[in-house]
Amino acid sequence: MNVKFLNPFVEAAFEVLQSEAGCTMTRAELRLEKEPYVSDDVTVIISLIGRVEGNVFYSMSADTALRLASRMLGENLDEFDMLAQSGIAELGNVITGKASVKLSQAGFAATISPPTLMQGQGATISTLDYPRLVVPLKGDCGPLVIHLALREGADRTFNPAHNPVAPTHIQ
Amino acid sequence: MTNVKFLNPFVDAVVDVLKAECGVEARRGQLSLQKLALTTDDLTVLISLVGQVQGVVLYGLSTQTGLDLVSRVMEQPFHELDSLAQSGVAELGNVITGRATVKLSQAGYEANISPPTLIVGKGTQVSTLDFTRIVVPLETELGTLVIHLALRESPPGQARENFVPVNIATKA
Repeated sequence: MNVKFLNPFVEAAFEVLQSEAGCTMTRAELRLEKEPYVSDDVTVIISLIGRVEGNVFYSMSADTALRLASRMLGENLDEFDMLAQSGIAELGNVITGKASVKLSQAGFAATISPPTLMQGQGATISTLDYPRLVVPLKGDCGPLVIHLALREGADRTFNPAHNPVAPTHIQ
Repeated sequence: MTNVKFLNPFVDAVVDVLKAECGVEARRGQLSLQKLALTTDDLTVLISLVGQVQGVVLYGLSTQTGLDLVSRVMEQPFHELDSLAQSGVAELGNVITGRATVKLSQAGYEANISPPTLIVGKGTQVSTLDFTRIVVPLETELGTLVIHLALRESPPGQARENFVPVNIATKA
């Protein structure tokens, strides 16, 4: 796990949580984990594919998820319904997207996958041979944890110019 | 709405790989379409796709089926889900998905796949949000492997770009 992948995510998280939820966040102590992640109540899973590749998780308690979703959507939510879930997944998407722009500027272009939302604590999520950098964030929107299981990859960004057999599709 | 044309590449890939790697025949069961979150079985392999097809593919199976399949692949008996066994299950998902993308590519849909994650724990809820899922069970003598496809064609011009909305509240 290359530590140069760390700052783009931390900066992106600070910026997005500030602009979307008005929260000021700080980073607590990092650690590198080889053991699988034991899930908190809510986890957003997003993959990166390209010059940097792997998986990123954003994890938090049910309480934090509800508070955060309420702040972002400007509503007082009492349950973690589809709207709230969509908001949290989108948060992961926006942070990861922003981080990918910074990573790209540093020479690590990658495409991000759509987000998946997992609910239920106590399951283990294993990133197999990718060790995980665990980044706890604290602040009014927290606590929430970013998990980075990333490493340098080959350039697999898709270039349509190299694939003449691909038909054009009319949407 | 997940496009049904993405279905066969995955079903065929499972059949091919289980035959080649595990020596088992797989038969397709009844299809269903699901919008609500998936409730996990013991083991779930999750792999994302990006490119002209994007989304998530999940493979669900029991621990016993996972151990039995991996025992066949590695030609040695596995009795517990240690890290080697887990790695084997994830790798099966990886090989199946890789093979499916070759078939998708032949049908004109280029995609790249993410490294796999393995979720261990029955009863967790996994939501693919606004991607409806096609769910297909594949029956084998070693148990059932369920494929969940939450895929769609990327809108034109989006195959290479990361689409990130400007503001979460306006998107919701």
